[in-house]
Amino acid sequence: MFTLKVAFRNISRQKKRSFLLAGAIAFGMLVITMINALTGGLVENIRDNFAHALGGHVFITGREFNERGQMVTRIRPDQRLDELLTEHAPEITAFTKRSQALPSLIFGSKQTMHLVYGVDFQEEDKLLSSLVVTEGSLEDVLSLENAVILPQPAAERLGVEVGETILIKLETLTGQHNVGELLVTAFVEDQERFGISAAYVSRAYLNSLLGLGPEEYQMLNMFLIDLSLVESFTRSFREGLLAPGEEQEEEEPAATVTVGGVSLDPVPRQERISRWQGTRYRVMNINQIMEPVELAVGVLNRVGLVIFIILLLVTMVGITNTFRMVLLERTKEIGTMRAFGMHRRQVQLIFLWEAVLLGLVGCAAGLALSGLIVLVVGNLPLNVDPSLQFFLKQGRITFRLSPGSALLNMSLVVFTSLLAAYWPSRAAGRLSPIKALSSHT
Amino acid sequence: MKKIYLLLTAALLVLALFPPVQAEDLSQIRAILEKIDAQSRFEGTDFSAVLTLIIEDPEEGIEKMVVRQFRRDDGERYLLLIQEPVTQRGQGYLLEGDNLWFYDPSSRQFAHTSLKETFQDSDVRNADFSSTSWSSSYEVEGYYEGTLGSFDVHIIELKAVDDTVPFPYATLWVTKDTNLVLKVEEYSLTRRLMRSALFPKYAKVGEAVIPVQMVFLDELVEGKKTQVSLSEISVAKIPDHVFTKAYIERVNR
Repeated sequence: MFTLKVAFRNISRQKKRSFLLAGAIAFGMLVITMINALTGGLVENIRDNFAHALGGHVFITGREFNERGQMVTRIRPDQRLDELLTEHAPEITAFTKRSQALPSLIFGSKQTMHLVYGVDFQEEDKLLSSLVVTEGSLEDVLSLENAVILPQPAAERLGVEVGETILIKLETLTGQHNVGELLVTAFVEDQERFGISAAYVSRAYLNSLLGLGPEEYQMLNMFLIDLSLVESFTRSFREGLLAPGEEQEEEEPAATVTVGGVSLDPVPRQERISRWQGTRYRVMNINQIMEPVELAVGVLNRVGLVIFIILLLVTMVGITNTFRMVLLERTKEIGTMRAFGMHRRQVQLIFLWEAVLLGLVGCAAGLALSGLIVLVVGNLPLNVDPSLQFFLKQGRITFRLSPGSALLNMSLVVFTSLLAAYWPSRAAGRLSPIKALSSHT
Repeated sequence: MKKIYLLLTAALLVLALFPPVQAEDLSQIRAILEKIDAQSRFEGTDFSAVLTLIIEDPEEGIEKMVVRQFRRDDGERYLLLIQEPVTQRGQGYLLEGDNLWFYDPSSRQFAHTSLKETFQDSDVRNADFSSTSWSSSYEVEGYYEGTLGSFDVHIIELKAVDDTVPFPYATLWVTKDTNLVLKVEEYSLTRRLMRSALFPKYAKVGEAVIPVQMVFLDELVEGKKTQVSLSEISVAKIPDHVFTKAYIERVNR
């Protein structure tokens, strides 16, 4: 305890020097903390935004071959699926059965490609309440067969007004051209503003254009009450939906999950497909989609760690030099302490405590600074490109730092500080009291 | 009141004089379709030409494309090489039977595409560059006689035999004396007119008779159309290696 007190007094005595050393450590700590917190926030935001954009945490698609041997995406009414949904109802907060297309929407001489979801508005009553209407009304959506809810930017691109009719041009499941008429009933704000905006029409109407039956759909998306259940939930559905004679794939191959026409296949790979009878299901979950993102973030974290270690090495050289200088400055003082009966070990300990204290103060300052930056940056609303909104939460950067990584970083700082101070402290401990007292420094 | 009676009588007279004649024997119409298909094919010879496309888009403006086409109907092959605009020079389409490949020199990659797709951003479909197959892809739904401009024509309503063709319904205007298709209207599954094609000028090339001027109108997007004209037409033998991926890669070096 005595050595700790002396170490603390020594640090306080040389305020400017201590400030500079702790400042260097604080800077390193700030860099690594910010990188860790930023990547942690990114992963969380991307996961949440993907779940919202895709409409769930677990996604099921159905594939079957038609008479001409073409593979089509279709889920027919299936008792197995209904039973599984009933069985797992307590784990599901919401589910949607949707069809989707990427058609051309045409109004006069203007056209735009836009993602369109076919929704059963009666079944998905929460959807209508979640949409922010900017013009028109959602009242007619339930009664009109060909009503369309358009995102505001799409409406602006087409130059259409509420109450007007637009054309929808798409291909059927077998690739034939089809055209329908949609009555614009409302404009809504782009949901979550992820750069992926969708228009909503009645599923039955979209199905009629796609060549699907009124009760059929293409994707079953489910939100779970707890993300930790995702893997066991996925496994249960995979096993439950296996067709007779179908072997379960060890790892789910690239699925047909698309957002805005962009495939979200985790790892595209060649598949040898032999024709089968009936519907085969693919069950994907958010973790599979997040896999490449987490890999990229892992690389970023590792790069951050390397930068941190380089900064620590530079600081370590600084600490070693400073302590060697301190050793020269305090030679007489050390001699006096030794003459009064202080052991070699205690002298060494004073130096080591000083290093530990400097390291801890630096860490604390670094963490405090990071907190301040997080507070300021995290509250800045960013008006970035819609595609970048995927990384943000409600238009803001968020930061998440796990206590584990903060502790690891602090341990690294303290360890390197100790290492840097070890040789000067050993030299201090080995000083002979007589030589030290007769020193001219 | 008298006026209305007069109008009604006139209308009835017109209907009586020019009834929509439904052919009793559709085999005659099927034979016409077979003739149309036969005369669009180059049997025993190859075909090459330079195609100039003028693409009018109300939003994008007017764009000119120049494409060199090599075609061999024996084996259903063609090669399209884009020469203009400069930004797309070297891009190519290679048809080998049922497989159509698109080559992009910037990525040096071949990508699989379909005859159902449109050619670049035009109103022409990739299938429009090969011989027609009305008789095998469609069945006759109805048949009338009429005029188109100064030509007496058969107006033939067709329905696709299966879902392999992009347009489920089509109507053809075919000259009675020469069996030339002057106009085609193509419809969606909901029977909405999607595209009209006009063929105002034909030329006899070898044994085949092909349109050398074509106008394709997008009937859904106002003001969108593509005009195609053919020049430097030849039926000279084309070396086999032209219809290969290696050739497209080589011409881009």
